[in-house]
Amino acid sequence: MDLTVVIPSVGLAALLRTCIAHAQSALASVNEMTSAVVVVDNGSDPPYRAAALGSGIALVRFDLPRSFAKACNEAARHRPAARYLFLNNDVLLEPGTLIDMLSLLDNYGPGICGARLVLADDTVQHCGVRFDGGPRGPFHIHHGRPSSIVPRSPVRFQAVTGAAMLIDGAAFDRLGGFDEAYPFGYEDIDLCLRAGQLGMPVLCAQAHDTLHFESTSNRKPNRHAASRRLFFERWQGRFTIDGDTSQ
Amino acid sequence: MNYYFLPGTGIHGGIKVGFQFAQMLAEHGAPMVVVTPDGRAPHWFDAAVAVISRPAALAAIRPSDVILFSLPHDYAEIRSTGARMIFHCQGTDPLIDPILADRDVALLSCWEQADSYMRERSGRPPIAVGIAISDCFIYDGRPKIADQLAYMPRRGVEIADAARLACPGLRFVAIAGASEVETAAAMQQSAYFLATSVGEWLGLPALEAMAAGCVVVSVPVLGGMEFLRDGETALVVPADRIGGALADLAQPNAASLRSRIRDNAAAITHQYRLNKQFRRLKTLLGDTLGEALSWT
Repeated sequence: MDLTVVIPSVGLAALLRTCIAHAQSALASVNEMTSAVVVVDNGSDPPYRAAALGSGIALVRFDLPRSFAKACNEAARHRPAARYLFLNNDVLLEPGTLIDMLSLLDNYGPGICGARLVLADDTVQHCGVRFDGGPRGPFHIHHGRPSSIVPRSPVRFQAVTGAAMLIDGAAFDRLGGFDEAYPFGYEDIDLCLRAGQLGMPVLCAQAHDTLHFESTSNRKPNRHAASRRLFFERWQGRFTIDGDTSQ
Repeated sequence: MNYYFLPGTGIHGGIKVGFQFAQMLAEHGAPMVVVTPDGRAPHWFDAAVAVISRPAALAAIRPSDVILFSLPHDYAEIRSTGARMIFHCQGTDPLIDPILADRDVALLSCWEQADSYMRERSGRPPIAVGIAISDCFIYDGRPKIADQLAYMPRRGVEIADAARLACPGLRFVAIAGASEVETAAAMQQSAYFLATSVGEWLGLPALEAMAAGCVVVSVPVLGGMEFLRDGETALVVPADRIGGALADLAQPNAASLRSRIRDNAAAITHQYRLNKQFRRLKTLLGDTLGEALSWT
């Protein structure tokens, strides 16, 4: 099995190196798998230098910042593989998480698998996305709760975050990749909903916690506004409501 | 791929039963999508299964795919697709007879009366997949309003009106256009539920009300009599005697009868919990139901 790890990134070179080191450590823990890491330099100033990122890292450079979706799609085209792992540069992947994700896709068939992500204080950042019927729409279930008290059993969801997302390569091609119309955010939810419409499973690996610093590259309060508008234009009324069972 | 065709997203028990069934199959690993006319999803109950529009589905369906359906009016168009077919029977309208006679259609039944009807008309046993009620209906012991009666006026409102005149001491609360959660809350608040749809193929609200701790008084129905046992889990009374039966039931000296019926009803509804049906489907998927579905 061949895997391409895609890490879109802008600036924050030290964090990126740490992210890569964790990803490589996780990759080394998986048997019988070839892999490569592709970093998309999304308009960093100064540009990343491949040599500074470590050996064996492929570098794709955009001189001007592009959308997350565009960066991910470009990297996937750069190194086609049987599976892609999309990773934010502020995610420190645990080996157990990667093994769990791969195992879930092996068991459930071609589809998408996210991961349980925790913030620096061990509270949940992501363990699956559910949907409200009102203006809230999609939301991270159990966000902010101590990970130790959140059940690890549910693995099927309608959507998972793109911060750490494993997807079958053929499925990614069939879906046409991320929709590049989304400027920032919600492209991952859109991809998952489209996958569900093709009968593909959308899963979340819950067994291990992986650290996610969240929104390290862009902290603007309205950073998701344009994407959110587009998402609701396209999907309002077209996703089922599974509500907030954590209340 | 498995496509479950539904005629809309309105507040009808069959829509919810279809979505619940599709979701359970998806959770068991079957590639599954629900098809509605315009691709819109219902928002009056919780579900987590993908939805696509009918034109999109018809454009995508191949002969190796499976179409599940429950509305007999869909049969001709579905048959013309060339896909394999599964009829999920939710009512024994004689319109379903040509479907039952079609040996290319796999048959699923949800309750005993439908099962018997399908056996008789098709000459073969359907796969009994059952039905379930959502967990939000399960009574949690909160105080009830002792004189409150809930009913759904969509069918048989004249029966409810007559009962209201006969029972001035009861407060009638109509449940109409409400979400599943709102319906469950109204039922859990009410001491009684009146089912007024004469000859109903399956009165899912009566079963939900039993789970919600109501004493159910129902007109005779076709399907669901396995849980509507007169004098044991409910009172099943002809429409013209509903008012008198309710008035008697509401008397102080009928407290033990109310208590017995309510307890028996709550007990029997445990056979219809989602997790029970989920486990039943797991077993069936290892057998005939699994063979009927598409797994690619």
